[in-house]
Amino acid sequence: METSRDDFVIAIRSAFLKKGTQQRFSLLGLIFFSIIFLTLSSLNFKTIDYLKIAINEIVYRFSFVVSGPENFLKNNYLVINNHFDLYKKNQKNIEELNYLRGKDLSQQIITLENIKYKKLIDDYFIKEKETVAKVLMDKQSPFLRSIIINKGSKNKIELGMIVLDEGYLVGKIVEVNFFTSRVLLISDINSKIPVSLQPGDIQAIMSGKGKQEGVLQYVKGKNLPEINKKIQVLTSGAGEVFKGGIPIGTINIDDEILNNKEDKIVIFHRDLSQLKYVKVVSFLKEKNLLDIPYKKDAKNFENEINETNQQQETLRILLEQKKIADEIRVKIEKENNFLRNERLRLKNKILAKQTFNQKNKTQNEEIKFLKMNLSYGHKCRKNVFNNRYKVGTAEYRNCVLNKGLK
Amino acid sequence: MSNIYQKNIIYRIYKYIPIILLFISVLNEFDFNNLEFIYFSFNFSYILIFYYSLKKSESLGYVYIFIAGLFNDVVIGTPIGLSSLMYLILCGAAAYLRNITLRPSLIKDSIFFLITILIINSLLFIILNFIFDFKLNYPQQLINIIWTFLLYFLFANLFDFFEYYFLGRNNAG
Repeated sequence: METSRDDFVIAIRSAFLKKGTQQRFSLLGLIFFSIIFLTLSSLNFKTIDYLKIAINEIVYRFSFVVSGPENFLKNNYLVINNHFDLYKKNQKNIEELNYLRGKDLSQQIITLENIKYKKLIDDYFIKEKETVAKVLMDKQSPFLRSIIINKGSKNKIELGMIVLDEGYLVGKIVEVNFFTSRVLLISDINSKIPVSLQPGDIQAIMSGKGKQEGVLQYVKGKNLPEINKKIQVLTSGAGEVFKGGIPIGTINIDDEILNNKEDKIVIFHRDLSQLKYVKVVSFLKEKNLLDIPYKKDAKNFENEINETNQQQETLRILLEQKKIADEIRVKIEKENNFLRNERLRLKNKILAKQTFNQKNKTQNEEIKFLKMNLSYGHKCRKNVFNNRYKVGTAEYRNCVLNKGLK
Repeated sequence: MSNIYQKNIIYRIYKYIPIILLFISVLNEFDFNNLEFIYFSFNFSYILIFYYSLKKSESLGYVYIFIAGLFNDVVIGTPIGLSSLMYLILCGAAAYLRNITLRPSLIKDSIFFLITILIINSLLFIILNFIFDFKLNYPQQLINIIWTFLLYFLFANLFDFFEYYFLGRNNAG
């Protein structure tokens, strides 16, 4: 017993205290060093913070370089895939474009009205700062789903700023270095966002779950409304962390969700693993109360809304006219085609008749000649006693038709 | 003479491959630890560190492992020093196993590896949850541990093959 304990102690001592051939520090020393690092960073020790920022700057740049070949392959694969899908995508895009063009004007009106009403209730935010940043690293770990962007405190990035990708929420800034910043993605389990479900205006908190999904927690109200379509998830603006109304994702409604048997999963609008450029923004509440300048603004908005309404009405009339003109054109084209075909048919018929007549005329002349040949042939035919015409010649024919020689 | 010199350079490059692999696995965006699949992920760094600390302790210096851990923390966003601590504990466990083993076998190594990564991950969860208030997905971590354990067999053989054919070193174990 005593011997085995000694062996254990010797083995442990050898493992943790003995320096190897090329080891400059013992394992125990380095473990203590790590623990010191951990403790100081948990206590927010300033020196550790500076060290961390320095390491961050170096590692992010290095990591960007090291990930170069992999990103190159990944991008090329995506480009090739995109090329294969180009035709289909183009067709789909054209269809969507036509559909969206129609919707655009109505949306403008709704936006202007929305701004007007938000100003009325003093809940209108304006963009204070906006910076476009490139995603340096997209390193997803099991502990933290985050990305690193190439803008930092040098570019006036601040903690808590919102990160958008084409207008959709993707995360917020949680760490700012001088040249770089870390964005906590909305798919992270630690990210809690106050959201609002539309239609129905149900309030909830969304937490990250998995790569492309979020899960609703603390849903106000027992069940989601029984709507047979997708529910839109937007930021609610509660807690003033995020501006209200930023789209996040959708929830597909099925029976299990309605019966509260399953988690309410939010499918994000943006693919968070494919982020390349993001927009970092902060919003400011507009200080507009019901004073004279605001009234002026309101009037301007009213005018703008009226103008857009008029434009939409004109556009509608023009579209209606175009539709009618198109219908008439199609009708005329059809008639034209029919008449052209009819003319061709009649022309062919006349030609056939003319040919037939010509044939008849020739036949009649031949019959007339043959009949006359029977009566007057002997008067024109050449024989040993006279010197008339040979049978079959033109002179003989003329002679027969003239009823003999005159 | 130049032939010997060239061979020496290539040998040196091969010798540094474990360190290069460790730093690439830590710095690269492509992470086996967080793949696209729900039921498949493993920690390549753990396998690499354990194998080389156990079999070829001179290949990976503790200082390099410590620095790789710091880099890993910065890249994945965990508190600085945490990964270093885990990596070094793993090294310590491997060194202990090396000291007590008389007749090494892959099965014994892998079972010891499983116990070590279970302890390490438990420690990691305790520190992250209770000190730094991080939330973790436990089933995912368990899957990660199981796959790391299972793939140890494959990678141990691969590393053996590499050591034998490229460096001409016989497996110590």
